[in-house]
Amino acid sequence: MILEDLGKKLLFFDGGMGTLLQAKGLKPGELPETWNLNHAEEIIGIHQAYMEVGSHIVLTNTFGANALKFKDDTYPLKDVVNAAVSHVKTASERAGKKVYTALDIGPTGKLLKPMGDLEFEDAYEAFREVMVYGEQAGADLIHIETMSDTYEIKAAVLAAKENTNLPVFVTAIFDERKKLLTGADVAVFVSMLEGLRVDALGINCGLGPVQMKPVLEELFRYSSLPIIVKPNAGLPKQRGNETYYDVEPAEFAQTMREIADMGAAVIGGCCGTTPEHIRSMIQVCEGVKAVPMQKKKDTIVCSYGKAVVFGNGSKIIGERINPTGKKKFKQALKDHDMDYILKEGIMQEEKGAHILDVNVGLPDIDEKEMMMEAITGLQGVTSLPLQIDTVDTAAMEAALRIYNGKPMVNSVSGKQESMDAVFPLIQKYGGVVVGLTLDENGIPETADGRVEIAEKIIVEAAKYGIEKKDLVIDVLAMTISSEPKGAMITLEALKKVRYGLGVHTILGVSNISFGLPMRPIINANFYTMAMYSGLSCGIVNPASEEMMKSYDAYHALMNFDTNCERYIGNYSGRQTKQPAGQTAGKGLMTLQTAIEKGVKEEARLITQELVQTQQPLDIINTQLIPALDYVGKGFEKGTVFLPQLLMSAEAAKTAFAVLKESMTGEESSEDNKEKVVLATVKGDIHDIGKNIVKVLLENYSFDVIDLGKDVPPELIVKRVKEQNVKLVGLSALMTTTVVSMEETIRLLRKEAPDCKVMVGGAVLNQDYADMIGADFYGKDAMQSVYYAQNLLIH
Amino acid sequence: MDQLTKEAIRYLGYGRNAVDEQTLALIADAFDILQSVAGRKSIYRIFCLEHMDGDKIRFGNLEVESKSLAKNMKGCDRIVIFGATLGIGVDQIIRRTSLTDMAKAVVLQACAAAFLEKYCDECQEQIARELREEGRYLRPRFSPGYGDFSIEYQGSITRMLDCAKTIGLTITDSSMMTPTKSVTAVIGASTSKENCHRQGCEACAKKDCIYRRDTL
Repeated sequence: MILEDLGKKLLFFDGGMGTLLQAKGLKPGELPETWNLNHAEEIIGIHQAYMEVGSHIVLTNTFGANALKFKDDTYPLKDVVNAAVSHVKTASERAGKKVYTALDIGPTGKLLKPMGDLEFEDAYEAFREVMVYGEQAGADLIHIETMSDTYEIKAAVLAAKENTNLPVFVTAIFDERKKLLTGADVAVFVSMLEGLRVDALGINCGLGPVQMKPVLEELFRYSSLPIIVKPNAGLPKQRGNETYYDVEPAEFAQTMREIADMGAAVIGGCCGTTPEHIRSMIQVCEGVKAVPMQKKKDTIVCSYGKAVVFGNGSKIIGERINPTGKKKFKQALKDHDMDYILKEGIMQEEKGAHILDVNVGLPDIDEKEMMMEAITGLQGVTSLPLQIDTVDTAAMEAALRIYNGKPMVNSVSGKQESMDAVFPLIQKYGGVVVGLTLDENGIPETADGRVEIAEKIIVEAAKYGIEKKDLVIDVLAMTISSEPKGAMITLEALKKVRYGLGVHTILGVSNISFGLPMRPIINANFYTMAMYSGLSCGIVNPASEEMMKSYDAYHALMNFDTNCERYIGNYSGRQTKQPAGQTAGKGLMTLQTAIEKGVKEEARLITQELVQTQQPLDIINTQLIPALDYVGKGFEKGTVFLPQLLMSAEAAKTAFAVLKESMTGEESSEDNKEKVVLATVKGDIHDIGKNIVKVLLENYSFDVIDLGKDVPPELIVKRVKEQNVKLVGLSALMTTTVVSMEETIRLLRKEAPDCKVMVGGAVLNQDYADMIGADFYGKDAMQSVYYAQNLLIH
Repeated sequence: MDQLTKEAIRYLGYGRNAVDEQTLALIADAFDILQSVAGRKSIYRIFCLEHMDGDKIRFGNLEVESKSLAKNMKGCDRIVIFGATLGIGVDQIIRRTSLTDMAKAVVLQACAAAFLEKYCDECQEQIARELREEGRYLRPRFSPGYGDFSIEYQGSITRMLDCAKTIGLTITDSSMMTPTKSVTAVIGASTSKENCHRQGCEACAKKDCIYRRDTL
């Protein structure tokens, strides 16, 4: 077993395959894995050469062998993989050397959603198929390499873990900024892979050995797992028609020796390296003793692009994505209004949150589906790590599976049943889990009682291999209105857990003031006391000025805010500055002008002033509508341009929001608004045009149901029928996706014959629109608005 | 006004019209954002170019039939295959901004397009310098989707350059590039320095396009 050797002796991988095949005549763009079937001897020869110079681990020629690249049966995938494994075995016999056969798994070559068009589960399936063939054929381990996207890595690792019993190695391409192409840094990469329980991790391709060293330093800083290093023979260079690498074997070997001395556990070569490079490397490195990796103690949560390392002050977990006590949020969940949830996320990030709590539980919705939608949506617009907050373990598992990164999970409790359900999920997917100090007997009344439960949770977690660094204990804040000693008990327990047990802590801070007037006063002061007592992260409202003042003051006072930079940045000049634009509403500008000019803040302030003396509907009719009409006509005539049109639209939106707040129930009712479904058609990932139309339609008080981009015809039809919609707007950018537009129209005609269809997009024109059977072609966004008005209102 | 800002204004559809201060401020802001989030990666390879019968050309093991491309490549004996991208950071910021401020999102989109073109121009100048050493001169770059050069060739080009691995540029099933702010192109190289006109967007048959360069 390779795991017996791993980390105990220095192991040698083989070197490049692709560059050697190119030298033997592989054409650019040709699939190298087809050579397993039609150039078997060349493949066996390369393997044998690496074995003869002393490689312990040899990679099968299966880097690109997956169903996404092998689309038809010209070369059956199973045959390709079987041949690949058997070539290593044959070479091993011929060379008379025992080696480990590593099933090589490269990236799919596609970008996963939401950035690209490949579904996570389709990537998983592509990897699964090859891995199962590989294990059956006799591979000893799975080596996932040359990865650029943490999400794709996660799909591959899960496929390996769930379908085979083989050890899993993972290496990725880091660039000179020490990042993956999709934004992950070393801390993200390591914490995510350790969470997924791989056996070794590291870096390959992209860079030469010298350029890899800074990345390696960080790998050693964060990783508790053995580290793999497989550089190219330098950076690629071009000479005439060919690409070449110019680090010679001796030079390569010398740097690899330095890398081995740094403590790498497995070394080898990637593009441009040859058996000569590996021979020199082994000669120079043989005898280097393996250094066992030190266990790292950092608590890290991450998204695909950002890691939050606990310590150095307290972290802010934004609490706003939670329907409890929020009427609007509940309505948004019922309406599938994802934009509302995403905007709450962006707002909290802008206010300074480090992590976002995500709770979408409501009695009458499918929480699992909603949780997945919210996680995916949020990860499309923010790189903040998320905290999956649910009591529904099915929703928790679904979210853990699709989450791109290492999340926080809220929560497990000291109840046996809870630990039995939650810990296996953390063990499998990774995560930092919140442990609530309550058990079958409820919440202990003393600090010691809560600490005891914390200890129980720590012991039970260890049985699953979940270390203390992946636990954050919630000693629970009980309101002082009914528990006079509530705050004192909580603060004492915080100290004992943080400094006695050495585990990080968390609190839902605002519970402390429940039932009291002016809650922010109590909350903000308790927040300071809690941080001082060892609160590692607080679940708070980052939009609350009082809370953020406490936070900033605490960090300045405790020297966590170097040179008070954050504090000064946030507060310098505050006293002298008037609250923004207080004079703006004093008749310098009319609302109509503010909207025509597209100045948001003025529009808001003037509207606030106007509602004191005028009826909302009058304001709409005398100011808002004339302004919008003026701008719309200007756009048509070519005197107003798109950015201005949209700035006006945004300003009008702000004014509408103020008016809505002041309207009584009946007036503000959404029910009588006309509904319009908008979607970018299946296969199309460009949605800016559709979003422009959406903003304008909303201005003209349509209720827009935005289905997003790459939307299958069936979903569009489903929503149209569910909500009895009379107008659909479809967008497509390219000729290749007008086909799906046509298909959508055909399906709508059949299933919802009363519904009209308007179309738009770069590639369309009137003739094209007629050809695919649309009712209307919108040359620009305003045309779509006019059409909708004529159809549904006049 | 710098060239980048001018290009962004063209993409925003202003034509020859004056631009208001607020939009100019949005444009300046957008370029600041792009400076920090845009990735800028590119790759190229040079192949021998064969001219075949009709409108066919051949390089590597790829054959392309396209009247407009064959015309663009006339007289060339080398062809540069080129891919470039600003990375997914730009897509992310545009998506995020679309939720909070559509005017800003539209301006970002236009500025990113201008930014990408400028980056490609810089790459091309670098390639031109290298080729000049061996006595060759570059033609304007020509992308799949120009004229009758089918968009499907984006796939062939990205495979030949191994773009997914090298610069993170991938193609969706419907031949769209992700990240979206990306370019694939071919550039002809010949031993004679011809005074050939710039032929990119100008080669398009859509003469009434509001973004068209040569009418502005």
